[in-house]
Amino acid sequence: MKSITIPSLVIEKLQLKQKDKKLLSLDEEIIGGQVLTIMGPSGSGKSTLLNWLVGMLPNEFEATGKLYLNGADVSETPSHQRHIGLLYQDPLLFPHLTVEGNIAFAMPKGDKQERLDQISDALKQVGLEGMEKRCPESLSGGQQARVALLRVLLSKPKAILLDEPFSKLDSQLRQETRQLVFEQIQRYSLPAVMVTHDQSDATAAQGKVITLDKLI
Amino acid sequence: MIVANTFFTRTVRTSPAVMIALLVVPVLGGLLGVLLPAFGWFPALGATEFGLFGFTELFATPGIERMLLLSYGTSLVSTLLAFVITVLILASYFNSPWLKRIQRLLGPILVIPHAAAAIAIGFLIAPSGFLSRLFSPWLTSWDTPPDWLFPHDPYGLSIILGLALKELPFLLLIALGVLAQPEIGKVLRQQHKVASSLGYCPMTGFFKVILPSLYGYMRLPILAVLAYSSASVEIPLILGPNTPPTLAVAIMQWFNDVDLSLRIKASSGAIVQILVTLSLLVTWWGIELLVKKCSAAWLTNGEREHGGMIIKLITDVITFVMVSTIILALLGMVFWSFAGFWSYPNLLPDQFMTMHWQSALTQMQAPLFNTLVIAFSSTLLAIVLTLFALESEQQSNKTISAVSGLIIYLPLLIPSIAFLFGLVWLFEQVNSQNTYLNVIFAHLLFVLPYVFLSLANSYRRLDPRFSSVAASLGAAPSKIFWQLKLPLLISPILIASALGLAISFSQYLPTLLAGAGRINTITTEAVTLANGASRRTSAVYALMQMLLPALFFILAWLTPKIFSRARV
Repeated sequence: MKSITIPSLVIEKLQLKQKDKKLLSLDEEIIGGQVLTIMGPSGSGKSTLLNWLVGMLPNEFEATGKLYLNGADVSETPSHQRHIGLLYQDPLLFPHLTVEGNIAFAMPKGDKQERLDQISDALKQVGLEGMEKRCPESLSGGQQARVALLRVLLSKPKAILLDEPFSKLDSQLRQETRQLVFEQIQRYSLPAVMVTHDQSDATAAQGKVITLDKLI
Repeated sequence: MIVANTFFTRTVRTSPAVMIALLVVPVLGGLLGVLLPAFGWFPALGATEFGLFGFTELFATPGIERMLLLSYGTSLVSTLLAFVITVLILASYFNSPWLKRIQRLLGPILVIPHAAAAIAIGFLIAPSGFLSRLFSPWLTSWDTPPDWLFPHDPYGLSIILGLALKELPFLLLIALGVLAQPEIGKVLRQQHKVASSLGYCPMTGFFKVILPSLYGYMRLPILAVLAYSSASVEIPLILGPNTPPTLAVAIMQWFNDVDLSLRIKASSGAIVQILVTLSLLVTWWGIELLVKKCSAAWLTNGEREHGGMIIKLITDVITFVMVSTIILALLGMVFWSFAGFWSYPNLLPDQFMTMHWQSALTQMQAPLFNTLVIAFSSTLLAIVLTLFALESEQQSNKTISAVSGLIIYLPLLIPSIAFLFGLVWLFEQVNSQNTYLNVIFAHLLFVLPYVFLSLANSYRRLDPRFSSVAASLGAAPSKIFWQLKLPLLISPILIASALGLAISFSQYLPTLLAGAGRINTITTEAVTLANGASRRTSAVYALMQMLLPALFFILAWLTPKIFSRARV
């Protein structure tokens, strides 16, 4: 077993096209714990890039290039087998499940009690102690964002994508949540790609920043 | 908001009350008109003492348990079947182009009247029907029609098939309608994406994430389908057993019997029918609770693959069988309508002829005229009332109350067999002898809810700034209504009108009862013919029943396109 393999996400010679119109090209390697920030105005292909990374590229787009996750080629892997976690600007918690249920949904199978203990621990770490049985709608925006983060992290992803994850939060909450997210990314040593149009997000991420141009 | 006090605004303001009264009075009056005789009060027969003898008589009827069981069973099983298949289709083709294709295939089935659908299915599964011909003699080695009981089997399997095939497109379109709403559909799709990114296969993701939320939006339509199917008359009449029939059909026969004393038993039956419908709703609710309880742990156990491929395969087969059934049923009916001599087991008629169409079309003139007059009158009334009520909403700046909102759907939720007979009694009390008006009025009860349902969303979503701009330019409310809102809403209004016409075309029981059997429409003729002698004439009538609504839907769809093209 190669125990010293560093987690990494490699985007190799990616070219994204929409009906022969070139959208973007990218060639990057992201090491675990690092955040690659993609900036650019709407329409520059940010969300198309994310869709390609998770394997949900709409039919009208074309892509060439490879995606390697921890050294394995996942370019043709269906999205649900990629183990790439997604964090949106909306928490998108499942309304029919409790906070605990939402996180349990994401976790791998296992002993019921162990899973519940893990959830309680995780909730405690982000200041949501005792909120297991709450329904997501009764939480504040910041609390929902934290549950959504835990949901992704406890699903044991191999990489994480952040789609403008903080844009719906007010500035105080934004800083706190951002700090928490980046801490956790480092703690789990996950390669991350963040899409944002906020300069302060990019600065806080402390990683490489790529700015895309708007296409005419 | 300050509203000018003109004739127009006053008319608009009173319209919701008028609309509610037009729905509440007949339905509640009708219920009263059934309730009184059910408990023994029927002065016309000299029965003026309250008692339970109507019910005693009812439960002494031979085969009453079978009737109840048949009503309960067919409706529950067909709705469950339709619901399960709807969910399978959604789960298997979610995010696939096939969903749109299936929707397009099944959409038109919605406007096929129940009677016509029942006739088509009856022809398909009859011993000498298209289905047995398709497999004979090469597979079955039958040279003569088989000796099976379809379509009048005593277990109600034919009824279940007919009801399920009619309910399925409705439930599917409701679900797709929910998913098409931007606020709901987008969130659900994103949640599905989240589940996918958490490693859930698309099928499991659908069942664990989408379905629990989606079901909440489908519950009311499902209950409406359940209530309707438990008390519907056309399908059990054409596809069901006769000895004994379903409760609703039996009630209808007792009411129409020349022996007036059966009316008391029939009224008691109508009350029991309501109880059957209620118990079905309770059963459904119970099943729902049970499923919820049993699946709670499963939802979060972390299992991500649940035989998605097998379920997909099963769904593919079901969908294929279902769509073929529909196509074969329609094809068979077209063949029958043109068939001359058609010997068994030939797949195609030995000779084709247009004679049935020619003779039917000449006999059809009076029923066709009645059908159109009644449909146009009731639809026009419904459209005017709906538009005024919706306009009044905007003038008073609040949507109609929840109670009124529910009342609009009252005629769809209460089994029509339970209040229509009372309505006839009500007509007699107010001495309304113009059967034409009575029928139009009875149709309005069913046309109005659908027209309202179909128009409300478009009207409420119209950008309010249009009116503000017009008002600031000095336009009076009436001018804004007639010259701005109506032209802007022409497409939805035409579609709602086509829907209203289709609903009116398909009405059987209201026409039969309010018209005292004297007013024949295409639908009443088709039902009468369905159990009669000529399969060929019956096929022509059933096809006419399908062509009429189709024609008006096409017109409603084309007209705005033609006009907008002329303008450019």
